[in-house]
Amino acid sequence: MAAIFSGAPPQGGPGYSFNQTPRTAPSGLRQHHGFYPYTDNGGSTLGISGADFTILAGDTRSTSGYNINTRYAPKLFKIGGEGPDNKNARIVLSVVGFAADGDALKERLDTIVKMYKYQHGKEMSVAACAQRLSHILYNKRFFPYYVHAILGGLDEEGRGALYSYDPVGSYEREQCRAAGAAASLIMPFLDNQVNFKNQYEPGSGTGHDLQAKVAAPLPRDTVEELVRDAFTSAVERHIEVGDGLQMMIITRDGIQETLTPLKQD
Amino acid sequence: MGGFDFSNHNRNAALHAQGVPLPKATSTGTTIVGCMFDGGVVIAADTRATSGPIVADKNCEKLHYIAPQIWCAGAGTAADTEFTTAIISSNLELHALSTGRKPRVVTCMTMLKQHLFRHQGYIGAYLVVAGVDPTGCHLFTVHAHGSTDKLPYVTMGSGSLAAMSVFETQWRPQLDKDAAVELCSQAILAGIFNDLGSGSNVDVAVITADKTTLMRNYITPNQRVPKQRNYKFPKGTTAVLNEKIITKEDISKYVTVHELEDDSKTATAEVMDVDQ
Amino acid sequence: MTQTGMIEADGIHVDMEHLKKGEVNLGTSIMAINFKDGVILGADSRTTTGAYIANRVTDKLTQVHDTIWCCRSGSAADTQAVADIVQYHLGMYGITNNEAPTTQTAAAIFQELCYSNKDQLSAGMIIAGYDDRHGGQVYSIPLGGSLHKQPYAIGGSGSTYIYGYCDANWREDMTEEEGIQFVKGSLQEAIKWDGSSGGVIRMVVLTAKGAQRHLYLPDQNYEGPGKQT
Repeated sequence: MAAIFSGAPPQGGPGYSFNQTPRTAPSGLRQHHGFYPYTDNGGSTLGISGADFTILAGDTRSTSGYNINTRYAPKLFKIGGEGPDNKNARIVLSVVGFAADGDALKERLDTIVKMYKYQHGKEMSVAACAQRLSHILYNKRFFPYYVHAILGGLDEEGRGALYSYDPVGSYEREQCRAAGAAASLIMPFLDNQVNFKNQYEPGSGTGHDLQAKVAAPLPRDTVEELVRDAFTSAVERHIEVGDGLQMMIITRDGIQETLTPLKQD
Repeated sequence: MGGFDFSNHNRNAALHAQGVPLPKATSTGTTIVGCMFDGGVVIAADTRATSGPIVADKNCEKLHYIAPQIWCAGAGTAADTEFTTAIISSNLELHALSTGRKPRVVTCMTMLKQHLFRHQGYIGAYLVVAGVDPTGCHLFTVHAHGSTDKLPYVTMGSGSLAAMSVFETQWRPQLDKDAAVELCSQAILAGIFNDLGSGSNVDVAVITADKTTLMRNYITPNQRVPKQRNYKFPKGTTAVLNEKIITKEDISKYVTVHELEDDSKTATAEVMDVDQ
Repeated sequence: MTQTGMIEADGIHVDMEHLKKGEVNLGTSIMAINFKDGVILGADSRTTTGAYIANRVTDKLTQVHDTIWCCRSGSAADTQAVADIVQYHLGMYGITNNEAPTTQTAAAIFQELCYSNKDQLSAGMIIAGYDDRHGGQVYSIPLGGSLHKQPYAIGGSGSTYIYGYCDANWREDMTEEEGIQFVKGSLQEAIKWDGSSGGVIRMVVLTAKGAQRHLYLPDQNYEGPGKQT
């Protein structure tokens, strides 16, 4: 008799329990609040090294989605030097991607370079600083700094030095590099105008004998013009680039900083 | 019967399941607005078209013709706004011809909403419909799912919040024509500068009982600064591995060749901006 | 989409309130009541897309015949489409039969559309009307497409907050003035507690004399301006 009045479903067979039904709304229908700690703040940076100088540049717009967070958020930072204003610094770091990680990375590197001087009584070389930055990035291999960094300065022979990094610390010394939102727009322009890719000497031969135009370090004013043109053009075609162009030119006399307006739409 | 061809739907679904991404439609990230005034109605739009974060067109037209006295501003998927307004424009003209009356704005709005509702939101057209007809001045918004609103001032698109903030602070009843144009322009400018999906220029259309005035590029606040360097390459810069010359005589066997009067002029419809 | 149902401690919940992405929602508080001389319909005026108020002065009280009106809640597109179709049918009915349709007829057409298209629609409607045969009547059609004749009906997301208020204050055969106060008091509470309801309070009074609109503004503490010309 007891079995008739038992509300329990037969054991072993298909159950009628509600335990198998989901207790939360299925994802997709209602927003599932997973925590995602990264944001892309847009913007672009670029660096070009010359015979006795290095130029780093970046726009000053910070975005999230279709919104502008601010029209002035620098992406270029002086590293080392004296005091909070980094007087007499000789190294510049540019970071683009997730701005909060960029700031954190800058603080880490700046502290390390300053500590180096206090401990060793001499300035850190750009090559040493570049390798240290690679280590900082790789130290967070499984929770990376979400940034594309470019480091610029002068090497021990006084030549322009430029290093570019991926988010987990792979790095390389280069002539020029564009990073960030409009990198895919600016980099081909740089390849063509700085390294003269796809350019040949007119009349130097026919067919495969045609001589490629040889790249040589460019003078400073030419490079400055190329940087400005790269950014004014990127602003035309990329919505996350604009508002201001910050440039830092590193020479043996120190770092010269300029800020020029860009379109605000 | 007209309509869409769904014969590739299964193929595309299979492709998508294998990880092939959907083609990216050009979206008019857009700010569009409309405002009534004493004796007429104004609509305005920005001119930026985007494809993701890339600007696809710096000076596109988002103000669409429906009838001489009925115009439409479109946001959402560019192709959907263009084709939807075009088909309703066509049907409305046939309707006007068969009834022998001027087309009404409510008729246009009803045709749009029924067309969009039938397609259950899959036609991504978000529209501001404005016009003057024998029953008076009218202003409506039509959403992609087919809902409509009738209001004295309206905004749509990704810049609608920026534009609405202008209307909600500056709008007052019984505006005159110039004040309405100014207010709409300011609303579009708010979208251009504060919404990344909107940019470039302001287009305005003023519709009154006796005429429609389309003011293309009414404000151009985002002119490009001149380039500092000249990027004209000397002839011979590009490597040529192979050369074949087709003479005028050869080609005229297949097509008609017209001689240009002036060698310096090319026969293109729209002149491209190039370095001299 | 696999499952929409989910279980909480208190039993089965089926999420019928979901809208298609980007759809315009009538967050809504709506109601209709019978009173001594007819019916009163009432609604707030807020339309939302997500957190954004797409229209703050929406008219959710829609005429489908001379003295048959409806209150709309759910998807703005769906309810407008349904109301437009019903308006067409009632118009045809009135002309072909040379007699105005009854409220029951109107409610039956609404039900037919809402039930047979239930898997495609998110439309919660309240139909209220006055006809000479039956006087004032109120019908409610919730999401599944069922039809309920009621002394008074409340609907929309804001209605959940006012079941207690309405139950405590409802009386049969109120005067017009009492009816207006009942509707206004209920909707004020719904607007106060429900984030997706707000704006002005609109009302329509349906009696043997026809339809009369009322408007009550928040900046006049919902006391005026009252009857509309």
